Order: sequence, then C-alpha cells, then structure tokens
Amino acid sequence: MSMNDLIPAIKKVLEEVDVVLGWTRSPAAGVAVPARFHTPDEADGAIFDSTCIHNLAVHLPRLKNSKVGIVAKGCDARSIVQLIVEGEVSRDRIRVIGVPCPGVIDVKRAWRCYGFGKKIEDAGGRVHMEGRSVPREEILLHKCHQCRDQEPVIVDLAAGDVTSMTPPPPPDKSGIRERFAAMSITERREFWREQFSRCIRCYACREACPLCFCRDVCSMQTREPHWTGGQVNAIESEMAQQVRISHMAGRCTGCEECERACPVGIPLMLLLEEQNKIIEELFAYRAGASLEDKPPLLTYDINRDGGWR
Amino acid sequence: MRFIAEDAIPRLLEHLAGGGRTVWAPRVVRDSVNTVLFAPWSAGEPVETGAYTHLSAKAALLPPTERLFGFGYLQAAGEERIELEPEEPEESPVLFGARVCDARALAALDALFFPASGGFNDPGYAGRRSGLTVITLACTTCDSACFCSSFGKGPAETDGSDLILYPVANGFLAEPVTDAGSELVRLDLFQDSRLEKPELAVTARVETAGLREKFIDLFSDIDLWRQVSEKCLSCGFCAYACPACHCFNIFDEMSGDREGERCRSWDSCMFYSYTLETSGHNPRPEIAHRYRNRIGHKFSYFPANRGEILCTGCGRCIRGCPAGVDIREVIRTVQER
Repeated sequence: MSMNDLIPAIKKVLEEVDVVLGWTRSPAAGVAVPARFHTPDEADGAIFDSTCIHNLAVHLPRLKNSKVGIVAKGCDARSIVQLIVEGEVSRDRIRVIGVPCPGVIDVKRAWRCYGFGKKIEDAGGRVHMEGRSVPREEILLHKCHQCRDQEPVIVDLAAGDVTSMTPPPPPDKSGIRERFAAMSITERREFWREQFSRCIRCYACREACPLCFCRDVCSMQTREPHWTGGQVNAIESEMAQQVRISHMAGRCTGCEECERACPVGIPLMLLLEEQNKIIEELFAYRAGASLEDKPPLLTYDINRDGGWR
Repeated sequence: MRFIAEDAIPRLLEHLAGGGRTVWAPRVVRDSVNTVLFAPWSAGEPVETGAYTHLSAKAALLPPTERLFGFGYLQAAGEERIELEPEEPEESPVLFGARVCDARALAALDALFFPASGGFNDPGYAGRRSGLTVITLACTTCDSACFCSSFGKGPAETDGSDLILYPVANGFLAEPVTDAGSELVRLDLFQDSRLEKPELAVTARVETAGLREKFIDLFSDIDLWRQVSEKCLSCGFCAYACPACHCFNIFDEMSGDREGERCRSWDSCMFYSYTLETSGHNPRPEIAHRYRNRIGHKFSYFPANRGEILCTGCGRCIRGCPAGVDIREVIRTVQER
C-alpha cells in the first residue's frame, strides 16, 4: 500500500476526531513505532509497512474521553470489535482506518538474531537484513501464517486496495510448537516451570494486551485479593500468568502482543493458542470476529442461570 | 598487556567459581529466540561473549526477590512472641561479561546501598558488593540503541570494573583496573602479548548537561509529560532492564497463619500501584505523572541527592520497549524546551 492512500485517510478522519493512532518511522530503529497524530501536519509522518507489528487497540480503553481514529490491520480490528462487544470502547467515539496487511515481520526475532536496529528491507518476497535475506514466510509473526483476518471486520474508511493483499503463506513449522505438542503433561509442567523461572514480573504482557483492561487493579499485583505472592519466582509467576490466561478465555484474539512484549522470551502464545482452539471447538466462537456474536463466557445471567448455592 | 585465549575463558570461570562463589555470565536462554540474560553459570555451560544481554546484570547484586528474614509467632509461657530468623549473608559473586555500562551503574547503586560509597548500610547488597569481582567486556561494536558516550568516558570507562577484556583475534587482551584484576592476570591462563588494544565503539551521545535544573523548571508542564509519554504502556520493563533503577517493595508473605517471610522485590515507578496510598488516593494517577518521575529520578533528583545520574546509556530500555519509547527522544524534547 502506498502512503498516498493512508495520509489523506488520516487527515480526513482527523476532521471528526481528536487524535488518530497510527505509526511513524523510528529514527533510531528504522522500523515503525506507534505515533499519535493530532494535526494534519503530524499526519504527514504516518507510515504503514510490514514492521507495523503493534496492536494499537491497546490504547483505546486508555483514551476513554476522546474521539479516536485508529489505523488497524485486520487482526487489530478484531481486538477493537472485542472491546466494543465487551462495552470497553464505545463504537460511536472511534473511527477505524482499515489497512490491507501483507503480514508483519517478527522484528523482535529479527533483531535478536541479527542485531538491534539493523535495517530490515521487505522486498520481492524476501526480507533482507545485514547482507543476508530470508523468505518472508520464515520471519513473519506466527499469527500471520494462519491469518483469517486480512479484511478488517470493522472499517469506517479503507486505505488501500484490500484485494491486492498477499495470500498468507503456509503454516510455520517453528521448532518449539512441534516439540511442545509432543510433550506429555509432566514434560509440559517442567517446561513451564523453566520458562517462568525467568519471568521478572514486569507485566509487559498485561500492558501490551488490548483486552487485559483490569490493569491497575490486576490480581497479579494486588494484595487484596491476594491470589499471588509478591515473590518473583517460577511458582508465583506461573500462577499469576495462569490467572491472566484464564481471564482471556473467549476474549483473546491471538494478536501475540503479550509474547512480543515479553523481554525474557516466554512463549506465552503456546498457552493462548491452545485455549483459543478449545474455545473455538467448544463454542464455535472467535473473539472479535463479529460485532453481533456474544462472547460465550460473558453470557452468564444471574437471574436466568441462578447464583451460587 | 596480558592476553587470554577465547577457549581459556571456561577455565577462567572455573577458577573464579572454585571457592564456591557464584559466577554470573551472559547466557543464551534455551527455548527462547536468542534471549541473552545474565545467569549463574555452572561448569560446561556455554557463555555468550558477543551479544548484549536483554536485562542488566543488577540481579547479581539486587535479586528480583530477596528474603530479608523469616518470622513466626510463638506461644511461650502463655505469651505470644515473634521469633525472627535472619538471613545468612551471601558470599560476593563474580560478574563476568558485564559491559562498561553495567559496571558503571555500580556507582549509582553503591551511592544508595553501600556504606563504603556513602550509601546506607543495606546488608544484603553490601554483603554481595564488598567482595564482588567484575570482569568487563569492552565494546568494539555497538548498536543504534547504545548511547554510553553521553556519560563519563563512554566506551572507555573503567569505573566499576576490576578487569577489562578487549576482544582481539581468538581471544581478549586483559587490562586490570584494580588489585583484584591484577591478581587475575597473573594466572597461567593469561600470557604476555604485544597486540594493540582494539578501537572502541563510537556510541551515540545525548546532551544531559543542565537536565537536572531544566527538569525542575518543566516539572509542572504536564502537557509536555503527556506528550513524551503518550506511547508508553506503563509496564515495568524499562525499570527492570535498567542497570541503575533500584526501587523496591517490601512485603510479608505468610505460609499458613503462624509463620512467614519478609521479602523485598523489584518495583517500578511506572506501576499505578507504586504510589497508590492506603486511602485510595494516588498522587501519580496518569502515565504522564509516572513517566515524569522516571525521568526526574534518573536525571534530577538522584543526581541532586546522591551525586550520580541513574543512566549509563546501555540502551536496554530502548531495545526492549514494547511500545517503542526511546528515552533519548524524551531527553532531547525536554532539552529543547
């Protein structure tokens, strides 16, 4: 997509909102970083490319008092829909600029392999870095491989030609997923103990998650209720994360932001993908897939279904 | 100068660990995509001497959680009393593979926790710090997040190190900084060498002069702080990755209702709960208030109170920020006001 479509779209939306959430290019890192555009002049710095990994929907519940425009990939749009369905964001105060997404590059992985801030060039079906190049599908985020959401479910203004999108490449065969799938329950327990032993409880997973909106009163951190101890160790960290993940049942859209945000590389998506699969099998429900669907775990009605006995 | 071959490094680490001391070294984490962290090393494990660690080395001195003491309620002669069980002091560790920016941060931590440097007497920290040995890897390359040249001697800094290793072909030139370093290079693992020290990296520079006063002048400009923190998601990553951030929380955890332990864990001023008062009032309700404190503590309050800037330009907060916040852009914006 060319910026010729995006920038005018942002400017148009700015006529009716206070701020537009989008991306600009980081001078230090060369890739996209989230940005807020308040004026048409600022909007001239807007970009969209395959390094626009962030899910900007995370900012919507934090901007409750503004009218907000948001540039959204198809997967981001699912988070927006889920926030609306749950009543966290009101439909009439947001304007969605839908962008066709070619799949986004796993910038964190690329940098951890090749060095931070190295120039990433996505051209001709290959991603070029440091004089080397790999086929795109080897370095896309995992979610892009099974993408069913190229077309945003919610769009007020489309920027770019939706039909020109690259079809999603074949599913990733990343080593860790295969090995995890082959593990027994006991081995999985050992695996997670080791993974969570390096959690530092920075809560980047929670803060980067658009749907994790308890935030400041999160049970990972509160003393009342005191579900998890304050010690930073594998047992408490795993408990804290299990609470978070079970609260995501039927709500997680699989955006991978929690895993991307994790500084110590805990593969949180293994847990969430498994749970999302179960929810889809049990309830034929995908979070954020439609404004009309009722989240299965949010349909409890005390009058109809009865209370605790 | 003395030289140590790359394949002699494991023997050096074994020597250092010989007396039962814990040796912290950079290691690639298994089952993670090239995550490199400082961790206690044991014989036979590979050490990563090329890549940067994604978190600083401070956990070697300030563990993410430290047990301060255990306690229990005892019934004796019809009276209840509280029995305390103090923690045994730990032996000072060895820190291998720190970078100049890690070593330099020790001065900032010492200024608060180490009586020999004018800090308070923090028994846990002081115990680990007093006999600490720091073997630093000099940087001949850097990345676009590095900005250590903004502080002191930049990549040529020797503060905080006992021994500095300069990467050369097939090994390292070793330059002692302290007596402990001089003693190490006398080991048979080192040979004399006539090689020249390599050129050091040239890292980015941001102007921090005058920031201490400037910050105070701009303290009340809340719109400025909202602007510079608008991307921030308010997680604790930057504080936890930082070699100089050191805030903590102290709390009791019970096991059952008769005994428990008092612990100290890392805390971050970016958390809402950090300043939440018992009344429910929070003096820093917005991310902008908290981010302002982050900048103020690093570049204004701590320098004023303890004489050290709480930043060494290691760039970890920039490399790992999930929201793409770059503290250098914030400093520049503030300086330009």
